[in-house]
Amino acid sequence: MRFHQFEIFPVCGSMITDSVPLPIEYLQPECHGTIVEMCGQPCQMQRLAELGIRQGCKVRMVCQGEPCLICIEGRRISLRLGDSADIFVIPAAG
Amino acid sequence: MPSNTSVKDARVVALIGNPNTGKSSLFNALCGMNARVGNYPGVTVEQKVGRLSGTAETIDVIDLPGTYSLAARSADEAVAVNVLSGEIPQQAKPEVAIVILDAANVERNLYLFSQIYELGLPVIVVMNMWDRVTSEGLTVNAELLSQRLGVPVVCTSANKRKGIDELKKTIESTLRSPASTPRPEQFARAMFPSVFHDEVKQLTEWLESQGRKPSTYQVDRLLIDSDGHFQKLICQSGLPDIATKIEDARLRLQTAGCKVPMFETKARYAWVRKLIDGAVVRQESRSASPSDRIDRWLTHRWVGMLFFVFVMFIVFQSITLFAKFPMDGIQWLQAQASGGVEAVLAPGALRSLIVDGVIGGVGGVIVFLPQIAILFLFIAILEDCGYMARAAFVMDKLMTTVGLSGKSFLPLMSSFACAVPGIMATRTIESRKDRMVTLLIAPLMSCSARLPVYVLMVSAFVPDTKYVGGWITLQGMVLMFMQSLGAMVAIPVAWLLKKFFFPGEPATFLMELHSYKWPSPVVIYQRVWERLLSFVVRAGTLIFCTSILVWAAVYFPGDHLSLDSSVSKLERLQSEVSETIAKQPSSPRGTEAPIEDPNIANMQSKIDEAQELVNQQRSKLIEGSFLGMVGHRIEPFVKPLGWDWKIGVAVVASFPAREVIIATLGTIYSLGSDQDENSQGLQHQMQIAEWPNDGKPVFSLATALSIMVFFALCAQCSATLMTIRRETNSWRWPIFSFVYMTTLAYIGAWLTYQCFRFWS
Repeated sequence: MRFHQFEIFPVCGSMITDSVPLPIEYLQPECHGTIVEMCGQPCQMQRLAELGIRQGCKVRMVCQGEPCLICIEGRRISLRLGDSADIFVIPAAG
Repeated sequence: MPSNTSVKDARVVALIGNPNTGKSSLFNALCGMNARVGNYPGVTVEQKVGRLSGTAETIDVIDLPGTYSLAARSADEAVAVNVLSGEIPQQAKPEVAIVILDAANVERNLYLFSQIYELGLPVIVVMNMWDRVTSEGLTVNAELLSQRLGVPVVCTSANKRKGIDELKKTIESTLRSPASTPRPEQFARAMFPSVFHDEVKQLTEWLESQGRKPSTYQVDRLLIDSDGHFQKLICQSGLPDIATKIEDARLRLQTAGCKVPMFETKARYAWVRKLIDGAVVRQESRSASPSDRIDRWLTHRWVGMLFFVFVMFIVFQSITLFAKFPMDGIQWLQAQASGGVEAVLAPGALRSLIVDGVIGGVGGVIVFLPQIAILFLFIAILEDCGYMARAAFVMDKLMTTVGLSGKSFLPLMSSFACAVPGIMATRTIESRKDRMVTLLIAPLMSCSARLPVYVLMVSAFVPDTKYVGGWITLQGMVLMFMQSLGAMVAIPVAWLLKKFFFPGEPATFLMELHSYKWPSPVVIYQRVWERLLSFVVRAGTLIFCTSILVWAAVYFPGDHLSLDSSVSKLERLQSEVSETIAKQPSSPRGTEAPIEDPNIANMQSKIDEAQELVNQQRSKLIEGSFLGMVGHRIEPFVKPLGWDWKIGVAVVASFPAREVIIATLGTIYSLGSDQDENSQGLQHQMQIAEWPNDGKPVFSLATALSIMVFFALCAQCSATLMTIRRETNSWRWPIFSFVYMTTLAYIGAWLTYQCFRFWS
């Protein structure tokens, strides 16, 4: 399940309200966010969690695209999940 | 190998941790160069065992594969669990588990610790990369963590050899007096829902009633990991209804609100967070680190790709530029060895065997050690500094177009050095379909054994044109093209394999990229040394045997008496000339003999005549040899590729190992096999070789390119095919690889020859 409306408005955290979650791949480079929801295949969810990607984590986008490069707790993780999982973040203001 | 990896009386400890926590550096720091590499029995997972240096007791250290969790999904992860549980036959159960944490990322690394802790082994926690704690703005109270965990915590910076002595002392003291066994309520699994514990109890009782004795850990994994390693094992063991039992238990857990498998990660992270509360404090950094700033360019879609091509360009130019000097040295040694034998032994079968078979065959292969060293040096530097993972990231986009993911890139890149470790590295790919496609295209990557063939052909038939003050060479560029050809052909091959044999969406791409760092000279030295050693061992075994077989096939049948007497006469004449020159007064320059001396000129012409006779006799003997007979039979098949029978048999002889072609070509070009790819003698003989019917040169640019294309695409490596057999547990795939690659090579070589024959 993807929120296709975000494809029309890929925006930086400073421009939207904190309550709107967006797919992680739409977080702009150098924008910060917090993971608020993760859904997908259970084994994929488990793998993501083992790598430290879980709800409540603060994330920074290093390189946008598919795959994207994110930074979580100082670790850089490259990510292309396709249809197997979705990660939603709320961008931090500012 | 596995059975003798540990001395009987040696104590055994195991090293385990997440990938990129500096595990290899720590292993090297603990054991020095005393590592033995083999395979675990029954599986092709590499087993690395080292002897702890500087300790009173004999202690063996097992380096386990890097893993994020003990929820075994791949063969690597399963081995880690089985070793720690003592379930590997002929492998002693470790007495202590040394868990390596990245000191700058304690929270996530403790997740794995929480699983290992429950296996019941005494544990030592190593906070490696301790120097990064301060540089990344962290505060870690190791003492407090040690108290809370109830295990010793040692802080190290393995790449700087800091904290290693303290760790050795801790290992010794833990072996002497292990810490008391933790109580079950200390484990993270104590935080699992009670309904899960009930299900574990029920399933354990049922398994025990069926005569099984599973550990609590195994039953946990059976219930949590959907289609996991343990479930597959137990389902294959013929236990009736087990699959249904597990599914029913999971269904009951779901109904009771216990979400499998996510409840486990939630509980473990909650346990970890409680543990590190107040002991680990991270300063929130909002600015980009130096690695981020570099990554912005090197992982950029276009800049990153261009940089990767540039790096590859530098690697292959360096091979052509810097290998020459050390190669000349090896050639000189080889010539000295041959000369020494020729001075002692009279011409005959034994001398021919030693000089042509052994020194020529094995020496011809050893001579390209410098090129291989340079290639491995670059690969080791790129891996250790962290660039290789970035290259995988950049290539993911490209890989998805053929249905693969960036994870396939690293095994393919390893295959540029040697396909065997490359194929073994495909174990890290979780998707079976992706793994199979990667494994089948890995032998197309241009391995180091192809290099000498390219160097021989390129240096003989590609003009030595230089650009930019000699820093860029045409030969280097052709070499780079030939090295890239296999990878270019692999793209459509992968697409076809994915479309028709292993259909499906590309697997997800999830990979950690560690920060850039200066490569550790020790790690690089060790990697290059290991590779060179294995290459030399290969040259001393497989290539040695093949060289002797080829020599025998060229030497027999045939009466060599007249040839031997001609060679004796030639050597006598050469010796007389040398003596006469030595007796002559020195020329004004002091070195050159006066060539106008009529005596010497007369002797020189006699030498030329004798040499001509020797060459004729040798050619005649080779024509009538076993190899010559076979060669004439296969000539009709190789002629469309522009090859004569000599090239044909050299190529056929090199099917067990590509490197053999150099020695074989040298032997059958009636010069003896003391030739190498930079030898002017072999190059010259190839340049003057003519077709017997029309006198046209056998070798042209088209022929050279046709040979190189054939070698770029053909599956001429028995070790690679055997590795595919082991990894797939079937003969089907090595046969498939052999057939498709040989067909591709033949067609490619034919097309190349037909395109270039009119041009050159």
